[in-house]
Amino acid sequence: MEYIDLGHISLLIGFLLILVGFWGVLTQKNIIKIIVGFSILNTGINILIVSLGYVKGKTAPIIDNAVAQTGYHDVSASVVDPVPQALVLTAIVIGFGVTALMLAYAMKLYKAKKTLEINKFNDLKW
Amino acid sequence: MNIYAKLAYTILGFLIVLNWGFLMGATMRKIGARMAGRHGIPFKQPWINLFKSISTRTVITHGIMYYIGPVFRLTGGIGLFLFMPMVFTGSPDGPWTNFSFEGDLILIMYFNVFGMLGMALGAGEGGHPYAAMGITRGLAQHAAVELPLTLAFLSIAIQFDTFSIYKIVEAQQGGIMHWVLFTNPFAAAAIILAMLGALGHSPFNLVKAPNEILIGPATEYEGTYLGFMMSAGATLHVMEAVLFMNLVFGGATSWLELIVKSFLIYFWSVFVGMVFPRFKIEQSVTWFFKVPLLLGVLAVIIFMF
Amino acid sequence: MVTPIFIVATALGAGFAIGVLNKFGKNFTGGLVLAAITFMTFISYQWFSAFQFGDQTPEYVYTAGFMPPLSINLLMGHYEAFVTLLINFAGLLGGIYMFNSLKNRGSNAQVVYLIMLMGLNVMVMTRDIFNLFVFMEVSSIAIAGLILLEKGTRSMGAGFKYILATSIISGFLLIGIIFAYYFTGTLNLDGMIDANLSGIKGGAVAVFMIMIAIILELKPFPANGWGLDLYEGSNAGFSAVVSAASATASFFVLSKVMDIAGPEWYYYISLIGAVTFVGSNLLGIKQENTRRMLGYSSIGQLGLLMLILGFRDILGDQTPYIVFGILISHYMAKAGLFWISGIVKSKGLKGWAVIRKKPFFLFLMGTFIFALIGFPPFPSFFAKWTLVMELVKTGNMAWVVAILFGSMMEAVYLFRWFGYAIKGENEHLEDFKIEIHKIVPVWMVAIGLYVMGYFTAQFTEVGAEINFIPLAFVGLLLALDFLPVFVKNTIAIAGMLAYSYFIYPDLEGDTLRLIFEGIFMLGGILALIAGYAYKGTRAGFYPVAILMYAGLTGIIEAKTTLEFFYGWELMTAGSYFLIIRGKRSMPHGLSYMLFSIGGAYALLAGLGIAHVGQDSFAMDIINNIQYIPYWAYGLLIAGFLTKTAAVGLHIWLPGAHGEAESDVSPMVSAILLKAGVFGVVLALIGMGAENNQYTELAYALGWLGAITAFVGNLMAIFQEDAKRLLAYSSIGQLGYIVFGLAMMTHLGWLAGFSYVINHFLYKAVLFLTIGAVVMRVGTHNMYEMGGLIKRMPLAFVAVMIGIIALSGVPPLSGFTGKWLFYNAVLEKGWYLQGALFSFSGILAFMYLWRLIHTVFLGQLKDNHRNVKEISIWFLIPIYTLIAGLMVYAAKPEWILQPLGNMIAQFFPDGQLIWDGGTAISKYGQWSGSLIGMTIGATFMTVLIWLMLSTRKAHKVKQFDITYSGERPERPETTHVAYNAFEGLYKAMWVATIPLVETFWDRVTNILHDTAGFTRRLYSGNGQAYMLHIVFFILITYLVIIGG
Repeated sequence: MEYIDLGHISLLIGFLLILVGFWGVLTQKNIIKIIVGFSILNTGINILIVSLGYVKGKTAPIIDNAVAQTGYHDVSASVVDPVPQALVLTAIVIGFGVTALMLAYAMKLYKAKKTLEINKFNDLKW
Repeated sequence: MNIYAKLAYTILGFLIVLNWGFLMGATMRKIGARMAGRHGIPFKQPWINLFKSISTRTVITHGIMYYIGPVFRLTGGIGLFLFMPMVFTGSPDGPWTNFSFEGDLILIMYFNVFGMLGMALGAGEGGHPYAAMGITRGLAQHAAVELPLTLAFLSIAIQFDTFSIYKIVEAQQGGIMHWVLFTNPFAAAAIILAMLGALGHSPFNLVKAPNEILIGPATEYEGTYLGFMMSAGATLHVMEAVLFMNLVFGGATSWLELIVKSFLIYFWSVFVGMVFPRFKIEQSVTWFFKVPLLLGVLAVIIFMF
Repeated sequence: MVTPIFIVATALGAGFAIGVLNKFGKNFTGGLVLAAITFMTFISYQWFSAFQFGDQTPEYVYTAGFMPPLSINLLMGHYEAFVTLLINFAGLLGGIYMFNSLKNRGSNAQVVYLIMLMGLNVMVMTRDIFNLFVFMEVSSIAIAGLILLEKGTRSMGAGFKYILATSIISGFLLIGIIFAYYFTGTLNLDGMIDANLSGIKGGAVAVFMIMIAIILELKPFPANGWGLDLYEGSNAGFSAVVSAASATASFFVLSKVMDIAGPEWYYYISLIGAVTFVGSNLLGIKQENTRRMLGYSSIGQLGLLMLILGFRDILGDQTPYIVFGILISHYMAKAGLFWISGIVKSKGLKGWAVIRKKPFFLFLMGTFIFALIGFPPFPSFFAKWTLVMELVKTGNMAWVVAILFGSMMEAVYLFRWFGYAIKGENEHLEDFKIEIHKIVPVWMVAIGLYVMGYFTAQFTEVGAEINFIPLAFVGLLLALDFLPVFVKNTIAIAGMLAYSYFIYPDLEGDTLRLIFEGIFMLGGILALIAGYAYKGTRAGFYPVAILMYAGLTGIIEAKTTLEFFYGWELMTAGSYFLIIRGKRSMPHGLSYMLFSIGGAYALLAGLGIAHVGQDSFAMDIINNIQYIPYWAYGLLIAGFLTKTAAVGLHIWLPGAHGEAESDVSPMVSAILLKAGVFGVVLALIGMGAENNQYTELAYALGWLGAITAFVGNLMAIFQEDAKRLLAYSSIGQLGYIVFGLAMMTHLGWLAGFSYVINHFLYKAVLFLTIGAVVMRVGTHNMYEMGGLIKRMPLAFVAVMIGIIALSGVPPLSGFTGKWLFYNAVLEKGWYLQGALFSFSGILAFMYLWRLIHTVFLGQLKDNHRNVKEISIWFLIPIYTLIAGLMVYAAKPEWILQPLGNMIAQFFPDGQLIWDGGTAISKYGQWSGSLIGMTIGATFMTVLIWLMLSTRKAHKVKQFDITYSGERPERPETTHVAYNAFEGLYKAMWVATIPLVETFWDRVTNILHDTAGFTRRLYSGNGQAYMLHIVFFILITYLVIIGG
């Protein structure tokens, strides 16, 4: 545990999830699976964001008991960087919106052609 | 020389040329006939033809262009004579230089077409397709002939640094070795070959084609018109021979010399015509684009280096 | 001053209000949306005018009461104000246009539309990069939603692909942002610039991620299939808004974010821009679907803007001007075209012929297309000019080539489309309906383009009022287009007369320009007189004819290279419209336009090189070109030769002149071609005239001229169409002129100029006469004519004089040129070329005879037995011109002496000596009037003699002649025009093989095949598009970082 701290683990997981997400997005033919791929991708990015703001031994930037337990007197010194955390919140909201829109599209597409194969939706090309 | 004397000499000269043209034509016919084992026409035949033609009672016309076609033709013949220095007497203002001071070789080259054009238009109004057929053939062959000729003319102009026919003749005086024939052999050779086409005897006479269905502009004309055209033809034959004589064969210092030289030049084309059968147009065009054109190009190229 | 935060507040407020107030009905909420956008536009305008006309300084808006980096800040600067103004104005017009579409989709759609605009506004103003990301996402989601305004699976597919692609892109952006934050500790753009992000170890990757995402938002080629689908699949009104507002915003974002990337990125941005510009326009030529084609064009234009942006350090102060010109033209024109495409509702290009049922739509479409290609007086013209000048000046020739090539491709498909619209069959097509709210925005942008053009011109030399007077006259004629021909013709002639009078004092003493101005103006007036023969209104003719003359006089009066180019392009535009008026002119109009544009670009490049190292744009800079002068003169001459139709560049001419209307052919042949000659003359003077150091160039030009003469004349012989015959003849004649000028001697120029004047006179006579005959008999085919001398003696005489003059037979004026030519050739030593020239002249006899014989001589056709003499309105100009020919023939010294004096300014050596009426050269002499008198006297003598001896000539009528006793099976085979000169053809067919046409066909095919092959990349599969994006990123990464 000396060399692999929480920040590195989450960074690694974040990248891994991003790669998995890309793999899903680029290889799966089913639209729903592609959307799932995007969700994984987004999650990976979010984990990445949080882990980049992580500072070893510090707590979440929420002023509650946990802050006191770190033993620092200065609040700003006892918490991790708050900005990435804020960003993640926003990113999650946006990801939610995008996913919702995608799913709405998936529904409409399915209604139109009774299929979810992405290959089938190439009316517009060249 | 005052203008009246000039006019008198010119008219006299024209009469000589016209009658020499008739006589020369008859002679050539005669030679041709004898070679074919026939007796041939009498020497006076061209004059008989002329008088017969201009005294026919019926004269028809298809319209104004038809009517003035022969006028164009004869004007072309006479004009060529007027712009040509005939006999070299040592002065550009001599008695037989006609009105050659008004222009030069380029004028002759282009005025040459004046009569052809008028005749072609006149015959065209007659409406007979054979006339038009003859003209298309004639124009096509004319173009092919003119290319080597023009190159040779250019070569001679380069050689003497002038377009003036008078000066070209002057430069060739002083012995046979001063003739362009020897001083500029390529140009001379090109002219001698291309001349066959210009004079229009077999093998280059499909334009008139006297042995087949008679075609060409002459089919359209009879009577007085034909008389005009025969006069023009006689004049043109002499004038073309004189042109080549002036350019290649040293010109003439007397009428006798002119008559002899023009006869020989003209005879050359008749002679070839006796030997070779008639070409189709594509054959004659390609023929001129081979050796004569090559000679013409050579004649010019030698002056480029 | 309303603070810019109110742009956001208004949008949000109105959005919420709509949610509450939608019980008042959708019309009410729609009105509310428009009111909100109007207010947003007003705020932007207020700021913009404060910056533009006042001395407002940029202002930051801080949110939440903190300073950055703790809070988000917005910046309202000059550019931000302008860009938000553009966005909001496009939003407003789009909102009006889509009023019903939005309404039918309900108030939610109206809210989403507002939110999209708000997102775009914030994208422009924000200085916080995460904020930028958020609002990019907001507008992306809004756009993806609004694509569904158009019903059907096509738009659904497009929307889904769009959201997939933008999600991938935003993923990269987000990763980039977080790394950027990690390295700099701030999200503020200014903070990142201060922290020198790209200089930090590892920061380069963060920069890469951000930059590539922003670039991908601009739909770079080839990772842009989703963008094309968006343009094609969504509502036309919405495509317009995306093209105008969204693309503009993304472009501005790029320019903003570029600052953190630093100058090492600029090159790559330009490179990606150039690839996009060339690639999309190349693929555009294969498009048959209008909307998709416009999409390609939009993406291409964005590529061009990227290219320019990458050069901003090099272009310096000029960057805003150039970007403004290109951006505003694209913004307005493309929106206008998308909007029209929504009204016309034709998917395929060919269906656009229907637009002619509402002619003013054709006018709008033309305005937009000419603005996109960069014709004057539109802003893009001035911007492209400045861009090329600056790029050439800084030695970036390869970029100029890319820009011009891409523009050329764009012109190919846009003008092909325009050609279908002008000339396609439209009887079977159903007319389209116009809704007033849809047409208003189109008119607004069309007027806007003209206003902006005028405004842009004020920053250049063309800004002077004089350059707009002819255009105003064109506008007047356009407004009066409903009047009958008689009135408009009189106005046009009066206008040209007045203008000639007005301009004469400026040109007095400059013989060179006077000659050409005389040909353009007097020739134009004479050709216009023939217009009285037309009936009805002749819609659209007069504005374009005057446009051409405006351009022609423009190049004469030009004091600067820009004015010259301005006039040149006006002339091209006008003549294009004139040419395409002919019945079967569509393909010829297109090839004319393409060759003209190609030529214009060569000209542009040449003038650009000429400007290198010079302080001014004055015309005389081409007299002293300092940088790669061989190239400069070569390009200039090549450009001019497209107009003179030198061999290789001539294939547009026969069709264009042959199919044009009867009085247009002389305008475009006798008159217009001289513009090219004028250009060649200027270039040759520039090359030093007598002290020409570019002998190889002149030598090549000489051969080119001689070969052109030969090819033109030879091809003319084998034409069966009278007007095409004359057209080929023009090619040949122009070859003579080029040949003469290329000799660069006094005599050569004298010969060339004598041909300029002669060709003007006799070609105008011939084209006018033949055109008038064609109007009477209704066919161009010579074998369908014959014997017309009986019906039209005056026309016959005119043609006869014309052909005698053309052929160079003495005593008419053509001989002047021949005589001068031989002397010049001998002096110069160009014997072989001279012989080719001479041979061409002999070939001319054949087509001239064919022309006059087959039309006027031979047998009169049954159906022409009652045709009338050609119109008096044609006879007047014809005989006026013939009078000119006669004067020239009788007194050549009247014309040649002043010409000689003019040429002596440039070539003092080797002048002719004049002895009264006799011209004496080194080699010979010639006396025009004496020859004329001699021949005339002989002719009259012979004629009188003939008349005396044939007093009783019997007039034979046509049917007195038997006709071989048989009625031929195929009557045309008995006509001499049918397969004429068969013998010559058999001998010389090799020389008639259309090598040049084959060459250009090959070029076209290669382009089309490349485009056809490459565009298969856009398989229509959304996943493939994402793959393209990933590949694009990988490749760019390898190039930029890995390389």
